[in-house]
Amino acid sequence: MRFSLLLSLFLAIPAFAQLKWDTTEQTLKAKPGDREVVATYRFTNTGATPITIDNVHTSCGCTTAALAKNDYAPGESGQIVARMDIGNRTGHQEKSIVVTTKQNPRSPMVLRLLADIPEPVVMKPTFVMWALGESPTPKIIDIKVTDGFPVRLLKVDSDNPDIKVEVRQVHPGVELEVKVTPKDTSRPEMATLLVRTDYPSDNPQTYYAYVKVK
Amino acid sequence: MTALRQAGLIWLIAVALAGVTAAVHPKRPSFLAPPRDPNEVTLAQTQPWTGTVLWVDARPDSEFASEHIPDAVCLNFENWTKQFPKFLDHYNPGQKVVVYCSAKSCQLSREIAAKLRASGVEEAYFLEGGWEAWRQQNRP
Repeated sequence: MRFSLLLSLFLAIPAFAQLKWDTTEQTLKAKPGDREVVATYRFTNTGATPITIDNVHTSCGCTTAALAKNDYAPGESGQIVARMDIGNRTGHQEKSIVVTTKQNPRSPMVLRLLADIPEPVVMKPTFVMWALGESPTPKIIDIKVTDGFPVRLLKVDSDNPDIKVEVRQVHPGVELEVKVTPKDTSRPEMATLLVRTDYPSDNPQTYYAYVKVK
Repeated sequence: MTALRQAGLIWLIAVALAGVTAAVHPKRPSFLAPPRDPNEVTLAQTQPWTGTVLWVDARPDSEFASEHIPDAVCLNFENWTKQFPKFLDHYNPGQKVVVYCSAKSCQLSREIAAKLRASGVEEAYFLEGGWEAWRQQNRP
């Protein structure tokens, strides 16, 4: 009797969450033209009692998570659709979606959304600087269209006539070498270089590089 | 003696169950700590940089406006085009830059630091624990 009691205590397997997820982490790669990244997380209530999802919280204001309803009967399936707005984001992004149930509020499930967002146009570097009094030796900014993006680099302008730019077409329209030279470094100067493109066709984007003498 | 045997048997069953849980539980902990990101710094590591480091606040504008590390610059993805030139007003080549966001769980500081490095800021790091860690240290 005593043995059975002790054994039952050890056999009390931790109460696993009733929700079984198909996957809790998704890695997505944004394609040219994408404005958002969408991940779907499917789940099933594998428990014997109904379960209520009472909170879905995302780690970033840029991400929303939608749930069709809150209550799920035993055996019932559902899904959470997470959407991350790309905006100015580029490179590797990691967002999390925290799902809390009414039945197990202290053990939320954390879903992860990993996204790789390529940049249509890459500039290296995006700024050049000279210290006051430094020799006005030219500095180079390389501008390149990322493979797969139907972008043409049209022209590069400086908004300050005292900051001179010379553009060399490495591969016409897709790769440029921009030589930047300040006329004078004896006083503070700044300029914005406007890199004009034809993409996207409905609202062609301009990229910016910055020049400073300080 | 019987009690000892029973205890041993129970111990064996417990170990076996723990092994099964460790192998199949969806939330099992990792026994191998993930490698630390070389661009992550702690507050203690930033102390020798006091007075020269440029702090970058990657949180939304409203949180920056409410409170931030003294002399920090606000820079986030939402307003990058507008805020990056202001960042350059404060930045000098070679300067160490440390980006922070709200807490340890937040990824924004890591992402903004990566974008800064891609832009040409060579020494851009992100702060472990973020603003929460700063406040806990009760620094000015």
